[in-house]
Amino acid sequence: MPHMTAFARNQWYVAAYSHEVGRELLGRTILGEPLVFYRAKEDGAPVALGDRCVHRRYPLSESGLDGDRIVCGYHGFTYDRTGACVYVPGQKRIPRTARVASHPVVEQDSLVWVWVGDPALADPQAIPRARHLDSPGWTTVRGMEPIDADYGLLVDNLLDLSHETYLHGGYIGTPEVAETPITTEVDEGAGIVRVSRHMDDAECPPFYARSTGIAGRITRWQDIEYHAPCLYLLHSRIAPVGVLPEADGSDPNGFHTEITYAITPSADGKVYDFWMVSRDWATDDAEVTEFLRSNNHTVVMQDVDALNLLQKTLGSERAGYQELSINIDTGGLAARRILARLVEEGDKPVEKAL
Amino acid sequence: MSAPTGEIYRIDWLPGTDVLHGTCHCGAEHTAQDPVEMWEWMLGHPEGHRLQPQSQPQSEPQSQPQSPERAP
Ligand code: FES
Ligand SMILES: [Fe+2]
Ligand SMILES: [Zn+2]
Repeated sequence: MPHMTAFARNQWYVAAYSHEVGRELLGRTILGEPLVFYRAKEDGAPVALGDRCVHRRYPLSESGLDGDRIVCGYHGFTYDRTGACVYVPGQKRIPRTARVASHPVVEQDSLVWVWVGDPALADPQAIPRARHLDSPGWTTVRGMEPIDADYGLLVDNLLDLSHETYLHGGYIGTPEVAETPITTEVDEGAGIVRVSRHMDDAECPPFYARSTGIAGRITRWQDIEYHAPCLYLLHSRIAPVGVLPEADGSDPNGFHTEITYAITPSADGKVYDFWMVSRDWATDDAEVTEFLRSNNHTVVMQDVDALNLLQKTLGSERAGYQELSINIDTGGLAARRILARLVEEGDKPVEKAL
Repeated sequence: MSAPTGEIYRIDWLPGTDVLHGTCHCGAEHTAQDPVEMWEWMLGHPEGHRLQPQSQPQSEPQSQPQSPERAP
């Protein structure tokens, strides 16, 4: 069996960016469940329904909308926004079981979150915030790459940034990243893992040198906040070496970049990698925006290629292969354990249908 | 199922060394050179988590739940 992290049900997951959900039907598979998304005309709210027609399982995402109803593209079964079938061809009687599942959805911070699990347990207040994605004073570039890898591999990747030095050298990696010790904190109740790496005197990687114009060495802080299972925030601060925030907490001479990921398990061995880079500097500079977009896309693709390869490689290993963890893995190990707890809590007494 | 505890665990990798220094939410501290061993110690709480020497001399580390034998 290749590397496979179980799914944590009864959790919120990012299904899409707000701009992706409109009047075109959008299909996304999340935690192994095929879902279809669209934006209702009625009130502009996103809708998430099961993506298989009850008749012959045709994908509704390959069908069409009639107002706020989906008309199955195969034989015309028609569903309202609650998932109830309201029309079948040729007859008056609509079988009572004719409905597709409807999932709780919340649109917040330019993200469309969907609840996977028992709808009665869905609490919108539990969704972690990423306000910088949709706040004045911030500019964001973003993208999404599907990866053919277990989502646990992406969590591992993001919790251990020492890989920047090797996988992303010449982009965001410099020697100091891998060399600098980290601190790790786990907030058990909140399900948050924090990993911090503060470099006092580091080389400025091209990603920041070319975008900020800083010529010399920098003070570089990386503060990770992973809200298991889905949202990953990397608070990045860089400044010319020795330039620190003011005593009153303000930081006029620091460059703040919020790197956000949503890690959404799709199916076994598949994950959606939503990536976003937000900045509070040079916010109107289109050249900087384009540079960060293309440079970060390159960096993300380096990870995508590495994880695709890693998954394939692990899949060819015998069962029970060994790993070897060292200090850099302290945060990644913490995240794995939190995920294991969420998986356990999300597992209903009802056995998963296979 | 383990309920959330609302408690904070912290592990500092001491600069200039290979040493990890862990602090449990109960205040107990531990050093190790291997994160797997560190997390095992941490999550073993309260097993082996004696408070620091200067704290009040607590009861012996107990491996079984409080027994009711002190009740009259
Ligand atoms: S499969 Fe949808 S109507 Fe037949
Ligand atoms: Fe990376
Ligand atoms: Zn303890």
